[in-house]
Amino acid sequence: MIAALLVQQFMPTFTGIYSSRILLLHLVFLCAAVTVGQPTMLLLAFIGGILWDAQCALGPDVGDPEVYVEQVESLRFGFSVLMFGALGFLMQGIQPLYRRGKWQFSVLLSGIAIFFYLAGEYLVINFLRGDFMLTRATFMQMVYTSVLTMLVSPLILWLLALIAKRYGHSLFSERKQKRHPAWS
Amino acid sequence: MKPLNLIALLLFLAGAVWALTRSDRAVRNIQAVYYRAVSPFLKAGSGIETKARSFVKEIRHSKDLEAELEVTREQLGRLRLIESRFRSLEEENVQLRNALKFKQSTRFDVVAARVVRRNPTTWWQTVEIDVGADRQVGSDLSVLCNEGLVGRIDRIGKDRSSVLLLTDEKCQVAARIEGSPEVGIVSSRRGIADGKPMLRIRFLSANSAVRPGQRVFTTGHGGVFQPDILVGTIDSVDKGALASEALIRPAVDFADLGAVFVVLTEES
Repeated sequence: MIAALLVQQFMPTFTGIYSSRILLLHLVFLCAAVTVGQPTMLLLAFIGGILWDAQCALGPDVGDPEVYVEQVESLRFGFSVLMFGALGFLMQGIQPLYRRGKWQFSVLLSGIAIFFYLAGEYLVINFLRGDFMLTRATFMQMVYTSVLTMLVSPLILWLLALIAKRYGHSLFSERKQKRHPAWS
Repeated sequence: MKPLNLIALLLFLAGAVWALTRSDRAVRNIQAVYYRAVSPFLKAGSGIETKARSFVKEIRHSKDLEAELEVTREQLGRLRLIESRFRSLEEENVQLRNALKFKQSTRFDVVAARVVRRNPTTWWQTVEIDVGADRQVGSDLSVLCNEGLVGRIDRIGKDRSSVLLLTDEKCQVAARIEGSPEVGIVSSRRGIADGKPMLRIRFLSANSAVRPGQRVFTTGHGGVFQPDILVGTIDSVDKGALASEALIRPAVDFADLGAVFVVLTEES
């Protein structure tokens, strides 16, 4: 995940497609969540959430409160920890399918999870600031970010399988290993 | 639920509560440690982004001319800003001397900076610039460009800073409308805009005589932005029963931000 965070720094925003981006840190967490046990997933969720919030958290409102009477809230530091945890549990729901070798479901769910993550964040921002607003561009930003991130997930799952193989650990059940020895 | 899973869940929740209850100062300290750690990668990443942008520009211009033009633009913009500020100071000086209440002159200096990274976060409209604490840049300083107000400094590092753009809803500006007694608070709309981003000025009086085309300037009230910095031009007015709002077309083209200027204050 640390490596994903560092690579994330090199990934630009696609300004031409509604300022969407590939959320690599989130994706690596989601792919890892489907392959590990619950305690490890929660540890990764905590680390991922803290790292992401450290990168994104905004400072407090400034200026004279008598002039700027309306304070504009932003997401609190630590909010991503909860979001990562929730998405981790979502991904673990299809762990049995993944262990049977049906990785396509993990790919699809990673895209859906990213969309839920973005939608959840946006809803909380609206709740904190009041007046629900959703422009078409914002919605498309969420959709394209989810799709772009989802497209990278087979690569991440393959890399995880490769790392597991390198260290003599199998991500799949015995039955799957017998059918597809290349994945073991 | 297995005991190990339960313990892990409780520890996770405790960790989340710990994170959520950090003070702003503690969060800034955590961020400072984080950005110090990833700084080399940020530099390399933004270097690639800057190079990619330059490459696109080079299709139209030769590299040398482009660099020379960039430097000249920076110098010209800086001089324009200083000149306009000195003119207003000169006027202010005359007024104050006339009133015999002049106490001290205000220092106004700017540091030129280059935008090295755009939109590093999903929801906040920010850019990163290549100057930081080592050039006396402090937090919450105003950031301008030749056309007008860009935003304010949000987070500062040793040699990089993050600028919260005027197009972010959190960046509020106390502003006045040229040729009218109307003052209000300028802020942006939430999310990313369909088309060009627009700002809105709120808390105008219900019977305000504001009309499209009037320019909007900072008032200098509120302790963040200096007075008389151009924010934008009124695009349309929405009159309400108790208060009016107006849409503002920003003076700055935020999609094409290259060189900006951080206004230094006495404290910084």
